[in-house]
Amino acid sequence: MSKDKAALRSWTKAQIKIGRRAAGPVIVLSVLSALSGAGQMWCMARVLAPILLSSVTDAVSDTGGLPSFIAGFGLFSLLRIATSAGADMLAAQAGDRARRRLRTDILHRVSHHGPSLLRRMHSGALTTLIVDRVEAADGFFARFIPASTLWLLIPAILLVPIALLQGHSAFILLCCGLSVPVCQAVFGIGAAVASRNQFLAMTRLQARFLDRIRGIATIVLSGRAEDEAKKLEQAASDLRQRTMKVLRVAFLSSASIDCAMVVALILVAVTDGRLALHMNAELQAHSISSVEFLTFATSALFVLLMVPEFFAPFRSLALVYQERAHAQGLAAAMLELPELPVQEHSGHSMTAGNGGVSVAFEHVGFTWDPARGQVLHDVSFSVPAGGSVILSGVSGSGKSTIMELLLNFVQPECGRIAIGGTDLQELDPDSWTGMVSWIGQRPTLFAGTLRQNILFAHPTATEKQLMEAVQAASIDKFLSVLPQGLDTLIGEGGFGLSGGQAQRVAIARAWLKNAPLLLLDEPTAHLDPETESEIFESLSRLAEHRTLIMATHSMTTQRIRGQRIELSNGRVQAHRGAA
Amino acid sequence: MSMNRIETDHPLTDRQAIGRILLVWRKRAPALMFGVLLAVVALLCGLALMRGAGLRLAGATVGLVVAGSSVLGVLGGLRVFFRYAERLFAHGAMFRALADLRVWFFRRLAKGSAAGLGFRRSGELLSRLVSDVEALDGLYLRVLLPVVSACIVLPVLFFALAKYSVLVAGGVAVLFVFAAFIFPAMAMKISQRDGGEQLRALAALRVAVLDMTSGIREIRAFGAGHRVVEDIRTVDDQLLMAQSRLMRRSVIAGALSQLCGCLAVLLLLCAVVWGRSIHMSPVVAVGLVFLVIAGFESISGLTRAGVLAGTMGAAARRITASAGHDDPTGSMANAVGYESAPPQGFDVCFEDVGFRWTRNGPVVLKGISFEIPAGAHVVLLGESGAGKSSCAGLLLRVASPESGRILLGGVDISSLPETIVRQKIAWLSQATHLFDDTIRANLLLGRPDADEAALWKALDDAAVGDVVRELPEGLDTWLGEGGVRVSGGQGRRIALARTLLSEAPVLILDEPATGLDSETEQDFLRTLNNISGKRTVILIAHRLTGVETPDYVWRISNGQAESVSQ
Repeated sequence: MSKDKAALRSWTKAQIKIGRRAAGPVIVLSVLSALSGAGQMWCMARVLAPILLSSVTDAVSDTGGLPSFIAGFGLFSLLRIATSAGADMLAAQAGDRARRRLRTDILHRVSHHGPSLLRRMHSGALTTLIVDRVEAADGFFARFIPASTLWLLIPAILLVPIALLQGHSAFILLCCGLSVPVCQAVFGIGAAVASRNQFLAMTRLQARFLDRIRGIATIVLSGRAEDEAKKLEQAASDLRQRTMKVLRVAFLSSASIDCAMVVALILVAVTDGRLALHMNAELQAHSISSVEFLTFATSALFVLLMVPEFFAPFRSLALVYQERAHAQGLAAAMLELPELPVQEHSGHSMTAGNGGVSVAFEHVGFTWDPARGQVLHDVSFSVPAGGSVILSGVSGSGKSTIMELLLNFVQPECGRIAIGGTDLQELDPDSWTGMVSWIGQRPTLFAGTLRQNILFAHPTATEKQLMEAVQAASIDKFLSVLPQGLDTLIGEGGFGLSGGQAQRVAIARAWLKNAPLLLLDEPTAHLDPETESEIFESLSRLAEHRTLIMATHSMTTQRIRGQRIELSNGRVQAHRGAA
Repeated sequence: MSMNRIETDHPLTDRQAIGRILLVWRKRAPALMFGVLLAVVALLCGLALMRGAGLRLAGATVGLVVAGSSVLGVLGGLRVFFRYAERLFAHGAMFRALADLRVWFFRRLAKGSAAGLGFRRSGELLSRLVSDVEALDGLYLRVLLPVVSACIVLPVLFFALAKYSVLVAGGVAVLFVFAAFIFPAMAMKISQRDGGEQLRALAALRVAVLDMTSGIREIRAFGAGHRVVEDIRTVDDQLLMAQSRLMRRSVIAGALSQLCGCLAVLLLLCAVVWGRSIHMSPVVAVGLVFLVIAGFESISGLTRAGVLAGTMGAAARRITASAGHDDPTGSMANAVGYESAPPQGFDVCFEDVGFRWTRNGPVVLKGISFEIPAGAHVVLLGESGAGKSSCAGLLLRVASPESGRILLGGVDISSLPETIVRQKIAWLSQATHLFDDTIRANLLLGRPDADEAALWKALDDAAVGDVVRELPEGLDTWLGEGGVRVSGGQGRRIALARTLLSEAPVLILDEPATGLDSETEQDFLRTLNNISGKRTVILIAHRLTGVETPDYVWRISNGQAESVSQ
């Protein structure tokens, strides 16, 4: 636990370091903006004070300098507007850059660790991480990091002229200002904890929504739509309660700043008011000069106008304080993702000659989940280049696990898999991916056109290569039925195509990829016998001159020559036609 | 199908869409209004406090005590209290309203989705459900609240100044109107397009990421990782560009409104210095300067709200569009004129039913007629695409026949509420979804009040009871997304158990044995034979294996049904 916390802290620290560099110009502009604000207030005080004085005594009418101070007010206003707009723009850019950097990092990690990650995390949860959590971290880089410096810097800078003019007011502001960090520490910690819980609730809610939307037909047809709506209501209300918990504390911390500001404002108004009454009496008694009185009135007005300015940076920090918790939520989620491995010197790269590649399992064992026991025990077999192996066995006997191992999605616990005599682990992963074509029970089709879905396997394929693949997979036979031929739109999950048609798309992909090893994982499990035998025809054409490893329990495969391995509970039960 | 119609029919304007959403929030109106009231009180206290502080100091310099310390203290206390109360209350009310909206969205979606999502993307819908709904929280907190407040501040400023000079009051009021209403409205107009663009980009990003995470096997197997990451980054860049365009607009709008505030103070200062005709005591003038500064400060967020409002219109449109209209299939149960009496029996009868999925699509059924008496075991045979599943869909009112009618217990099902039909008929379709939940929760979807024994019986009937018994957590085993934690055949059988568990007298099993090895398949079909004679079982298959003992077999081909003698 403490190790996790340390990792969390070091991640956040590293991010702050990166963020600070981008925040530099934002901080400079914000300080300039605050100083122009002070200039505005001084000019305003310098205009109002003589007017107040003129109603007390006719002695001076120092209105000569007024136009220049009014012009000064205008100039400082423009300067302030320009600097604060600049700071906002730069801050937004910093946030953009940070989000782009983080999103790319996570995408690379997810793509690298791939399917094994999905056994632990719902794709909806991963999507929330990549989209929403990164989006939520924007405020941390754009606003929190500069604000976390400015809340100290700006009040400290503003305190200098105030102290020079009115020591007692500076003291009031300092005391009220110092109470703020204390309150922040008290409320901020609570807010951080509550905010983490809130993000968890939001992630759960999203995953739930996604799952329910995907299965909405099942819900509706079971007559459970109303129940599910109620449960959703429950989940949404849970999210609300958690969010309110965060806000109750977050608002309390901004209320404490309001409170400090109101106290400072009243104290300054009352003490300076008392002093002013005193000075006024002395002026009437001519014990002080009107110039002294003017100086006092200007300073007093200036300080009073500066009170909201002095507290503004505190307020900005309070507004963005929860951003820190969002960033920590992101950090925690990122630490759950495995790191990208350091780029090793790429292992042996392989190029296959024509006619396949030899594959050998040597005493391979594997466990998915220790609670459910080992799923493969001491599995050994070998296929020569261009040979075929049919794996059979009831569902759950370990066929799919062998496929996952061959795809290098997971690595064997013991034993080894040799490819052309070399251990699979020593091969360069990218070159290995290039050597394998895989067709599963139901291919994943992406929303887009049929053409895009086939070209997925080889985006730079020529039209001629594409047409060859289309013919080889017998897609041309059903093209005429589709409204726009190859440019027909397919819905998510292959909506618009039948199971057999979807499988043909997978076969066309494999043709385009043209890899020496072909892995087929129950490719016809969801098809009727007629379609099944047609698909097998296409598949056996595809398997020519390639090494074939197929998991199936269909009878139709008897036409395919090769070894037959029967698996039961993760063990090789029978082995016929061994090479 | 009706689903694409939902997206394209009568697109609402932004205003209509927002109106529709406000309608959903109707019952939250008192709470939302109370939040506005708190906000206004807090604001007025703040204005009075700033003005009071200025008056106090200015008054003292001329020897007067204008605002007493106790008055300032009370104003300050009220201001802090009401500000906190307002924020807490307004946010609470807002979250309730948002939750209402999400549930409303789901209900509406459910009404039109008996046949699944079709071409709609689950990621896109999720985006609407989550981000778009969230974008709408600004509608109340950042638009409605500050606009109402600004409407209160405007007369306060005007009348405070008009006592001394109508001209100055008018000038300040005009500047205020520009800062609080005109610039924000312009920002809204300009950002409408970009706001929609931003939401679209965000949804596109979500869809792209979801495609990647759910298709990761294919992506890895084809070595497409880098390509897909690059594609997603392109979408991400579009999002960032839309966002920074919006950001620039809102910064410019904010600067303009700030400028108005400065001009108002400048105008007031000039009036005080040179306005000989204005009979305003200097003390009052100082108080007014403080008031004007605080007044403009209170609307500093409105221009950004204008930019947001552009986004909100688009969000509202997207939400109402995908939630569909009141009557997406033209067959909702709440319409009047339905037969109120539920059917007594449950014989199924197709009378001359013609059907196609789309208006101009190929004909699927050409006047099909057959009869299934209550309690019979029937097999519907046919090749892929012959129309077997369409028959099931029609019976469940997923779609409506073009001609002819379907009777359930002698009553035309088009005159029955959907809920009644779906209570009587349970369907194990090929697209039946396993939820990311426990086995128990997945089963209970079939019959929420089923007890432990009933669950086990259903699992045993579906020949999966022993598998579940061996799992360390038994019924409480988490199935994972789409049942990823169990094998395909096991998942299928759990779905079957869920169907068997339902109390519907008619079961439609659409190729329940796909994905099973032949031995298990035969076992499984034998268990189907044992289902109580009181229930009708309609088995949809492309061939008979020989172990079935149906009472009737119908072969569907060329859109017609013919009886196959045993």
